[in-house]
Amino acid sequence: MDSQVKAIERKAIIPACSISEDSGIVTVKVEMPGVEKEGLEVRVEGNSLTLEGKRAEDGLQGNYLTRERRLGDYRKSFTIDETIDRDRIEAQLVDGLLTMKLHMKEAAKPRRIAIA
Amino acid sequence: MDLVKWEGKAPRDLWDAFDSLRGEMEDAMNFLRLPPDTAGLLDRAQAPAVDLVETADEIIVKADLPGVQKDDLELTMTDSLLTIKGEKRAEVNGEKRKIFRKETWVGSFGRTIELPGLVDTQKVRAELKNGVLTIDIPKKEEAKARLVKVSVD
Repeated sequence: MDSQVKAIERKAIIPACSISEDSGIVTVKVEMPGVEKEGLEVRVEGNSLTLEGKRAEDGLQGNYLTRERRLGDYRKSFTIDETIDRDRIEAQLVDGLLTMKLHMKEAAKPRRIAIA
Repeated sequence: MDLVKWEGKAPRDLWDAFDSLRGEMEDAMNFLRLPPDTAGLLDRAQAPAVDLVETADEIIVKADLPGVQKDDLELTMTDSLLTIKGEKRAEVNGEKRKIFRKETWVGSFGRTIELPGLVDTQKVRAELKNGVLTIDIPKKEEAKARLVKVSVD
């Protein structure tokens, strides 16, 4: 699975992500602090899986003594190949961490063939 | 170590000489994503990105802590120092797990922030929501900016 960064819109942040695979399930973890469930959109269009997360907060009124956090919206796009079952993508957002489970198609999983 | 003032890096750090090189390399690689001093090639401790905002009545600290549970977080305070410590746990640990990409990290982290002015440590409120920690620290009465009207005869 390869990821591609689409044209970056202004103020869009590319969130940090980790991708791993175990027993035919690809797990994608994306860090999106500040995003609520309502502000998150996960779309599959053809071969691309796009994530868009809107931060629920705005900047504070006051004097910033330290500013390290970026308050833009998150955007990330992946290219998924044919082995991923489009109908079996689960997404869960807990504490600003999005966990997606992408199931591989049964036909694409390695199989053991019994020898008669 | 809670009482050590956070200065970004240890003084007389052996890696000091590499800092400018490191900065350039990181700028090239972290082009958009990572806030400064939170993760890098040679960083030995992970620290969350923090905002420190001063308003008329309080000091607000915000930190990005995605995936951190409330129970794994520890906040301690002295009169002028706030320490955020905690642990980010990995919940999946498969032996056969194949890793394709790893930009997120797990493990312990910590950060100590020096607060400006006098604060009321008894009235601090903290909330962890959607992976963002918000700490409201009220200023002491004597530290608040006051407008005194002086009558001119």
